[in-house]
Amino acid sequence: MRDVLRIALPLTVWLGAFSAVYGLEGLVCSERWTAAGLDRATGRLALVGAWAAAVALQAVLLIGLRSPRFASPSGFVRCVSLTLAGVALLATAWTLLPVATSTLCL
Amino acid sequence: MNALRRHRALTRIWASEPGWRGWFTTVNHTDLGRMFMLAAVVFFLIGGILAMLIRAQLATPRSAFMGPDVYNQVFTMHGTIMMFLFAIPLFEGIAVYLLPKLLGARDLAFPRLTAYGFWCYAFGGSLLLVSLFLGVAPDGGWFMYPPLTSRASSPGINTDFWLLGITFVEISAICAAVEITVTVLRYRAPGMSLSRMPIFAWYALVTAVMILTGFPPLILGSILLELERAFDMPFFVTARGGDSLLWQHLFWLFGHPEVYIIFLPAAGVISTILPVMARTTLLGYGWVVAAAVALGVLGFGLWVHHMFATGIPHMALAFFSAASTLVAVPTAVQVFAWIGTLWKGSPTLTLPMLWILAFFATFVIGGLTGVMVAVVPFDWQVHDTHFVVAHLHYVLVGGFVFPMLAALYYWMPHVTGRKRFFRLGETAFWLIAGGFHVTFLAVHWAGLLGQRRRIHTYDEGQGWEVINLIASIGGFATAIGFALVIVDVVANAAMAVRGSRDPWRAGTLEWAMPTPPPAYNFASLPQVASRDPLHDEPELPARLARGEGYLGDPSRNRRETLVVEVASGEPAQIVVFPANTALPILMAFVTGGIFLGMLLKLYWLVPVAVLGVAALVARWAWSLGSTREEGPQDVGRGLALPLAAEAADPPGWWGTRFLLLANVTLFGSLLFGYAFLWTVAPGWPPAAYLQPGLAGPALLLAGIPLSVGGIRMTDRALRRGRGPWIGLVLGVAGAGATGLAATTLLLGTAHDAHAYDATVWVLGGYVLFHATLAGAMTLFLGARIAAGYVTGRRIGEARIVRLWHDYMAAVALLGLGAAWLPGLAM
Repeated sequence: MRDVLRIALPLTVWLGAFSAVYGLEGLVCSERWTAAGLDRATGRLALVGAWAAAVALQAVLLIGLRSPRFASPSGFVRCVSLTLAGVALLATAWTLLPVATSTLCL
Repeated sequence: MNALRRHRALTRIWASEPGWRGWFTTVNHTDLGRMFMLAAVVFFLIGGILAMLIRAQLATPRSAFMGPDVYNQVFTMHGTIMMFLFAIPLFEGIAVYLLPKLLGARDLAFPRLTAYGFWCYAFGGSLLLVSLFLGVAPDGGWFMYPPLTSRASSPGINTDFWLLGITFVEISAICAAVEITVTVLRYRAPGMSLSRMPIFAWYALVTAVMILTGFPPLILGSILLELERAFDMPFFVTARGGDSLLWQHLFWLFGHPEVYIIFLPAAGVISTILPVMARTTLLGYGWVVAAAVALGVLGFGLWVHHMFATGIPHMALAFFSAASTLVAVPTAVQVFAWIGTLWKGSPTLTLPMLWILAFFATFVIGGLTGVMVAVVPFDWQVHDTHFVVAHLHYVLVGGFVFPMLAALYYWMPHVTGRKRFFRLGETAFWLIAGGFHVTFLAVHWAGLLGQRRRIHTYDEGQGWEVINLIASIGGFATAIGFALVIVDVVANAAMAVRGSRDPWRAGTLEWAMPTPPPAYNFASLPQVASRDPLHDEPELPARLARGEGYLGDPSRNRRETLVVEVASGEPAQIVVFPANTALPILMAFVTGGIFLGMLLKLYWLVPVAVLGVAALVARWAWSLGSTREEGPQDVGRGLALPLAAEAADPPGWWGTRFLLLANVTLFGSLLFGYAFLWTVAPGWPPAAYLQPGLAGPALLLAGIPLSVGGIRMTDRALRRGRGPWIGLVLGVAGAGATGLAATTLLLGTAHDAHAYDATVWVLGGYVLFHATLAGAMTLFLGARIAAGYVTGRRIGEARIVRLWHDYMAAVALLGLGAAWLPGLAM
């Protein structure tokens, strides 16, 4: 089961981060955000911070899956899990890039 | 014992009952796989006839063939049947039939669950067909958007047929997904490590996990919409705090992964057949596995790209546009791997290969138009036009139906045991492939010229007449092609000569058995050392028939197969399967009472049916296991293994974990819906938030430790040979207290006042249901312990109940906490 987790974890974390940032963007653009006394600039900062945290988490996963402590004893699983960790890192960087480049609530 | 005597002995043990009774009592995966596939083909034919009605209607402007009411039913049922009653069940049928054979096992993990799933599918699908024949079929489009489908706009029973019928059918998909997941992970031939699994098994695993996580949002959405329609709980009514966009989110959280749930099995078929046709091995096996997994997860990040025209902010559009372009990468990895496989091999142009080539041409076009609609400005231009209709048909027909036709002709010799003699298939190929492209290239064109979808007619002079006529002619040519395929298959199955055992010279294990396959698959189970065992050892089938593998001795006179370790494929346990029984069909029938009661507003029937299902589940579970311990049993080749019932992690424990994965997704979707309404819906806040008071939180805080601690105490006491009763009593008390805490929620809200109240009511109901379940399971466990089925060595059932207690505790904390939180904050 650990090998299945090694394969599934990085992209699952991407999915969680992607959904969470999308949810955060909804919250930032809602009346709840301004009602709490926060402005849009703070919202942008929170989104960029979440993006950076998600990228960092993926980098940690990638490094972890390479380390002797967490790497799979099976060469096949190690290769697949590292490939998918790389994919998840790139996916996090690419799909959440709009937090830095797009208009916020337009 | 010689091969013939072994065959007779195993057939006596494994065979279904003879005659008509066998249809209703079989739990054999070969029978049920055939039944699934046959039923799916019947639904495909009905869906195809509806497609022809659509094309007949659109062939000419101002057609009087159908009025808008009938047309709405026809296109809705066409989409519904093809997506829910054909594509997914056909995958289930293929997986049910093939997986044990590919993996070197004798059956799937839970044979009775397979049968139950089939009968839920058959009854649920029949319910939808009844609506069609009565003229009250669903008519809101296959994605059933409210407010069009809310009570005010659709007061008839049509929408209810969809919501309840599809949910009934989805039980089948969840059953199959649990079954497939556990089977692929644990029911393999010894030595078949993850890296040696047939590629189709990887695809089936990814697809099954996608079903477990993709279907629950739709199940939840259907429940919420039905609750709104039946009991006026306003989840989607804007004026009372609901939001119709919530439905779109829940639907497409299912709907987009559904595209990959349909495509991935087809890709698995391609990856299996293509190397055989090219007389080589799959290029980049590991890359293809990684691509399948990547596609399976990335596919969940695209749901909003179906909602680009709903007015969401640009940043959100950009997220999903980026994800939509990204998903093309793993798809391309697979396509390049297949091209590379063809490049390094020596392809032969057989009929399965022709269908694979048609898949390439069609699916790549569908993929490219997919990239086009992933670009937001283009999507806005073609949204709700026939361009999108053509795109989705290129993806689904090219990406699923054509590979399934390749699969049909590839595995037909396996199913029938006959060599193809009549050659109508080639003519059918050209008619279908040609007709399809004529139809849908024209439909693309009509869409680009602005023809809207779901409109029953159009005026002359808009430039669409000739295009639609061409599309309809192409459509009828395609239909004639499919009719020829049926004639070809029936003629070959009935009259062709007997074929050889491995006509394609493939290397996978399904060809290591006689064809058509015997009920037990393998006379003895193989030891595997590579992905193509038959290429390693051409004599393997004869050796297995002589009983030289594992479990070759049928003298224990029961249905046995092996369970292996997940990663290494080392043999770990012996599973004893149940015998033929009518319990699954009976339980599916009684389950149908729940849906029928809701549909016909006979609400008294619902609790009666629920109690009936509970009684049958108890009967089902009681027949498992044994009251005596057998210890390690000889499995052949000098190895002795324990029975699964005497292991700490029996298949039922694994199945429960994957069922809970689906349950987690459902609960997560509910919390998402709550958060979505709280954040986005315009009619918030409600007049008042629920105040938790003291009783509810106190009961919750007392109930959770009692529940979680009690079941652990039972587990520990059993392992140490002590009396488990105190732990059981505490567990029941904990579940009861948690259930009471949830009840305070129900008593404190008016379910129909505001979407907040309705959501809180559903959260409370969900927790109450799980508390009741955990309590009932604990009582059942007590009865099993008292009867001697559960002991310190046979601890599996106690561990399953523990999983449910832990889950109940988690959802109670989260669910009741989320319900009380706004009241605490105000």
